[in-house]
Amino acid sequence: MLEARGITKLYGGLQAVAGVSFSVAPGEVLGIAGPNGAGKTTLFDTITGHTIATDGEILLAGEPVRGTKIHHRCRLGLARTFQHPVAADTLTVLENAYLAASFRRGRSGRRSRPDDIAAGRAALERVGLEGKAGVPAALLPIYDRKRLMIATALATDPLVLLLDEPFGGLSLGEIDETMGLIGRIRDSGVAIVCIEHVMRALVALADRVLVMHHGAEIFVGTPAEMLRDARVVEVYLGAGGGGSA
Amino acid sequence: MTDAVAILANGVVYGSIYGLVAIGMTLIYGTLRILDMSQGSMVMVGGYVGWWALATHGVNAVLALVAAFVFTFALGTATELVSVQPLIARRNEVDFELVTFITTFAVAIFLTNVALQHFGPFQQNVPTIVSGNLKLYHGVSISYHELTMAVISVVLMIGLGLFLARTRWGLAVRAVAQDLDAARSLAVPVTRLYPLTMGLASALAGVGGVFLGALYFASPTAGDLPLLFALIVVVLGGLGSLTGTLYAAYLVGMTQSFCEVEIGTTWTLPILYGAILAILVFRPYGLKGSPSEARL
Repeated sequence: MLEARGITKLYGGLQAVAGVSFSVAPGEVLGIAGPNGAGKTTLFDTITGHTIATDGEILLAGEPVRGTKIHHRCRLGLARTFQHPVAADTLTVLENAYLAASFRRGRSGRRSRPDDIAAGRAALERVGLEGKAGVPAALLPIYDRKRLMIATALATDPLVLLLDEPFGGLSLGEIDETMGLIGRIRDSGVAIVCIEHVMRALVALADRVLVMHHGAEIFVGTPAEMLRDARVVEVYLGAGGGGSA
Repeated sequence: MTDAVAILANGVVYGSIYGLVAIGMTLIYGTLRILDMSQGSMVMVGGYVGWWALATHGVNAVLALVAAFVFTFALGTATELVSVQPLIARRNEVDFELVTFITTFAVAIFLTNVALQHFGPFQQNVPTIVSGNLKLYHGVSISYHELTMAVISVVLMIGLGLFLARTRWGLAVRAVAQDLDAARSLAVPVTRLYPLTMGLASALAGVGGVFLGALYFASPTAGDLPLLFALIVVVLGGLGSLTGTLYAAYLVGMTQSFCEVEIGTTWTLPILYGAILAILVFRPYGLKGSPSEARL
């Protein structure tokens, strides 16, 4: 569904991303791990178009999209969330979801405000935020903001969902709920790429993990193999084994 | 009492028209982070469209206003495409606010000179939209033209408010005002939203220009004073705050009206700039402005 080949992003002489390749299929979760500054978020930025990759090829549902605009890629079925939970603060929860739904993939050109609102409401129900539809986004606690960001991403009706640290800053119970949510999104046939430091969640969710270090990929394999990989343990997980939860 | 009625009536009229011109600047700044110096030129162009339609072709007033709206909408869109669009992709490399301030200023100078070239340095009389006066109180009266101007300004501002609150494009404008990258991730086509916003703001100024043209004249420099007042209003209200702009517009209108009746017209600008200075010293973000995001 999404295929990246040899993605490279140079900032002057610095290789933020150095020839990373991966692909992800519908209903699959690809985890991306690595120490801070490894280039994980920059990799996401090149996939979504927030920055244009210096080199490489990105195929989204078979179409090459490396130089195209963000909203074009989104219309093709690519959605993302950010590390920091962003939302339009002065808009209500439902308005945020409605806005996302109104530009969703496959929406027909004619006016269909009720359809858009229904689609936005459905996305809120998927993440469990329907009870807060009328609340301004600025007033939401962090867990709700993170769920709203996932809901707006879902409202665009994505084929591929990129999640940037969806578990960061959450309590243990919230992590469990979010794992359930991401599992359900995967089961609905969305291809998911997920950057995460919370090893417990990554190991449980990911079918495969790609570990980055200094912009390059140093490991690709199953979570179980990752935990035993000498290089990954050395640069990322630490000698304690298994990493932190 | 007579003075008070006169001050109030004129203040509301001035405030409404300043609000109409300034709210466009606020909208553009809040969304696009551009201090749009071409906004005054749109008033000037609107005045000429009004003159062309009303004085030389004798069309009816509603058509003249619609013509001014459509023409300045197109001109504002074109201004965005020429002076802003090429810079969006490079907004992290250049000082976007400063450079667009200069490029939109360049458009303003260009439009002034086109008008000068085409119409000459003359003042053209623009007919009033409606004739007659409404007597208010003991010799205080207000022209129907001014009343219409105030009413239509308020109606357009309410329309803008509904657009921003109810439609998906309006919501998109507000979302972009708060986080450009996040909004873009929701498939909001920013490359279409920028021209739309500038076109809309310009159209409001253009309609204002038809009314102001009849109060003053249509001339190549007719946009300078409205731009000056709009700048006072948006700085006072807090750049990017729509409600702050409304308060500030009526405050400035009332102040001007008060000066004209009680002190003398020459004191209007010194007093307003004194107020601006004081506000910027004590409340650097204006009456309702906030330091950074979350404005619309």
